[in-house]
Amino acid sequence: MRLLRVFLFALVSSALAQAADYVGSEACKVCHTAVYNQFFRNPHYSRIAGGAETAENPGCESCHGPGKAHIEARGGKATIVAFSEIGPEKTLDACLRCHSQTLSRANIRRSVHTREDIVCTNCHSVHNSKSPRFLLVKKQTELCTSCHASVKMQFAMPFKHRVNEGVVECTDCHNPHGTFAPSWRMASRPRMVDQKEANEEPCLKCHADKRGPFVYEHASVRVDGCEICHMPHGSTNAKMLTRPAIFTLCLECHNGAGSFGRTASGVIHTPSTHNLADPRYQNCTTCHARIHGSNADPFFLR
Amino acid sequence: MKKFLLIPLAAACSFAQPVIAPTNEQTGNPRGDNTPEYNIIQSFELGYRFVSTGGDTGMYDSTVNYRNGIRLLASSLVVQSRDGQGRFFDHLLITTQGLGNDPYQSAVLRVEKNRLYRYGMIWRLTQYVDPALTVSYGEHAMNTTRTMQDHDFTLFPDRAFQLFLGYSRNLETGPALTTIQLFNEQGDEYPLFANVHRQVNEYRLGGELHVLGMRIHLMHGWENYKENSPQSLTAPSAGNNTTDLNTLTSFQSTQPIHGTSPYWRVGLFREGGKYWAVNGRFTYVAGKNAFSLDELAAGTAFRGGATQQIVTYGNADRPALTANLTVTLFPSDHIDLTNQTSFSNIRMIGNAYFTEFVSGFQASPVLPFQYLGIHTLSNSTDLLYHPSKWLSIHGGFEYSDRHIGSVQGQSNLGDPPPTQEAIEQTNQLKAGTLGFRLKPLKGFTISVDGEVGRENKPIYPISDGNYQAFRARVEYRTKLLRLDAYAKSDYNINSDALTSYASHARQYGADASWTPLSWFAIDASYAKLHLTTLGGINYFAKGKDVSGDSSYYISNIHSAVLGARFAIRKRVDLYMGYSHIQDVGDGRTTPYGAGLYTSSPAFQAVQSFPLRYLSPQFRLSIRINPKLRWNAGYQYYGYREQFSALQNYLANTGYSSLAFSF
Repeated sequence: MRLLRVFLFALVSSALAQAADYVGSEACKVCHTAVYNQFFRNPHYSRIAGGAETAENPGCESCHGPGKAHIEARGGKATIVAFSEIGPEKTLDACLRCHSQTLSRANIRRSVHTREDIVCTNCHSVHNSKSPRFLLVKKQTELCTSCHASVKMQFAMPFKHRVNEGVVECTDCHNPHGTFAPSWRMASRPRMVDQKEANEEPCLKCHADKRGPFVYEHASVRVDGCEICHMPHGSTNAKMLTRPAIFTLCLECHNGAGSFGRTASGVIHTPSTHNLADPRYQNCTTCHARIHGSNADPFFLR
Repeated sequence: MKKFLLIPLAAACSFAQPVIAPTNEQTGNPRGDNTPEYNIIQSFELGYRFVSTGGDTGMYDSTVNYRNGIRLLASSLVVQSRDGQGRFFDHLLITTQGLGNDPYQSAVLRVEKNRLYRYGMIWRLTQYVDPALTVSYGEHAMNTTRTMQDHDFTLFPDRAFQLFLGYSRNLETGPALTTIQLFNEQGDEYPLFANVHRQVNEYRLGGELHVLGMRIHLMHGWENYKENSPQSLTAPSAGNNTTDLNTLTSFQSTQPIHGTSPYWRVGLFREGGKYWAVNGRFTYVAGKNAFSLDELAAGTAFRGGATQQIVTYGNADRPALTANLTVTLFPSDHIDLTNQTSFSNIRMIGNAYFTEFVSGFQASPVLPFQYLGIHTLSNSTDLLYHPSKWLSIHGGFEYSDRHIGSVQGQSNLGDPPPTQEAIEQTNQLKAGTLGFRLKPLKGFTISVDGEVGRENKPIYPISDGNYQAFRARVEYRTKLLRLDAYAKSDYNINSDALTSYASHARQYGADASWTPLSWFAIDASYAKLHLTTLGGINYFAKGKDVSGDSSYYISNIHSAVLGARFAIRKRVDLYMGYSHIQDVGDGRTTPYGAGLYTSSPAFQAVQSFPLRYLSPQFRLSIRINPKLRWNAGYQYYGYREQFSALQNYLANTGYSSLAFSF
């Protein structure tokens, strides 16, 4: 019992001491006037306006920590939580104190961005955001391509999703905070591709007709995903295929070789009636028109 | 003021090659205008696009598709309560782009009353044109419009208890051309007209509860899919193969599909403070499609009249279950150890009553069925170690085990389906990652990553087999300068007795953004994207089995994007940009190259696809007064394939607009 009393006393003393270190946002205004005066635009301002939070939660000190020492030292980065100084892991911890518990950020600890020390403040700016949504440092497309330069080049291809045109955004398909293991491609890669329900490919959000279920599934779509045939960022093929002509793409799997395929006896070979020297038979999807899956024909003819 | 100017300049230039309009420069007071209760920032850009094209306009429509006409090129309205105590709302955001008839239009609405409600809406429209380009060797033209909208309403946002309501709609409509192959496997292919109509409606209802330090998320949704894209023959057709005598004189087909995918999603989150965090998620989707097909064709086949009617109906089910559990431990301030275990089980079961009437005689109706089951269990562990502020090291290991079960068959109608054991196969992946990130100087970063994976039974020859990926990047970044160089490689080898498949993808690039002067900024990027694939193929040509050939594809894409922006006397902004994409393939001067890996001219001709696609642009924006700008711009598109001029085009596009704020 005595031990419990000592513990409770220590806990309360610690809490009171910590609470006493918080000075409130009004005190910050004295020096950081410009930041304070614009803070009403910030989504975090709702915490101040609500007035229902504990001392350490609303306003400047919720992110920057208690300000008493900072004021007593008349400023300085050593006496406050300065995000330019604390390093990526501390930055992540500070933001996740409030922002961890949502589905979209459930995988942030294992995301490729976190692994690469790309944390919250690399993409978001609480005080100098250029985007009215999500406090982004820049417009989303500019922001992502400022690091992913090779992707920027893929979107300059003649056939691409309309990202530069502004109607598609990177986050339509990707979750920069990390994703759950996908249900395709051995649950391994790709790691930052967002998912539809049941961890399905995000392509199905828009291309709903490819989703099925179908009586006859083209197993490759389900097992290895859309990108086994398509290059979603951009391609020199009008259907954004990985090859300029479709028959080579099909034949690379449909050659009857080995123990590949859904029945482990080789992926079904083209029949002898298909004369691949004849341009008619080089247009596979002319006959196999329902190549993503069919309800009426096991060979995807209708 | 100097700083105020520099930051917009640097930001404006680090673009991917943008389309010329809407104008990037903003008008009005960036800090907005105040009313007693609200602060308002808004701008509108109204302009006229003009376009002239030459060459293959179908290709232009497919790749660019801008048209003449008046547009509300962009608009933005942000209303923000100044004290967070707005009467009906505290935050209102409306942005639009391309309204009026651009092929790519969008609108965003977000309105929020702090801690009471939040509503968000995104509306998008895309016009998709595919004029049956010969590059795809297709006859599948489309001119459809896709409209998507997402509505999400949250009651009591940022509180311990929240309610969610949501609705999404995705509608694709428009004319299309497609094909059908009739009357039997020796038959011909005939072009058809299709009236595409596909529609998805999704409804969501859920909530979140924060209790005992844990947040519990629950969502139930219903996704309904409807398609009815009837196909018909517009005129009697001799088919693609004009050397045979088969013809199609009439055809009509309807294939309505109604699907529903009710789903459940449960999430649990807990950040346990200093030492651990855990979250879990469970989803279940009961996907189901019901369909029928009624197809009636008449024509001539084998020098005689032929009619064929096919009737099929049935349903397909795809119940899918996933579960994820992630545990993160922080044994010290410098170490994060994360483990995720994932399980997914997807089963696809379908059966369809199928009957066929050929020239009036009914073939035996059958009941085809199939089953495809995929269940995957994976576990990954990632370690992130920060020994100091200038160094981090990470490593990880993943093990994944996938079982695929497959049944395909059919039975005569009325007979019990034959008992068939599912053919089972198992694939295991073991993959490891290792990398580091070094910051030896302020703003200077070196990062290196590698991954090696091994699968013991890939499902397809082109699937990941033995793969290795390597990434390296060097970046130097200050407020006014960013220099970045990177190299990436992805190699995959997947071999079997009759075929071997290898793909080598390499990317090298450099990227720079520099704002040397308060009135001048420049952005330049270069990348080389290299891809070589070689896979064994086996096919029939003129009745002979051809084996020993390989499908070889090589792509060497050089891409460069350059942009420069000048601000003249704080009144005039000038942007000049240039984008150049060139695939040189393997440098061949004829479509058939050196005849490597195959003796078939058809295969040689698709081993590479050299082309050039360039797009210079400039834009002038003049500030007439603080609330009004006049803008004008020009963008050229030039597309040229090396070995065929059929699809080449050029386009001159431009616009003139007024951007104003009031």
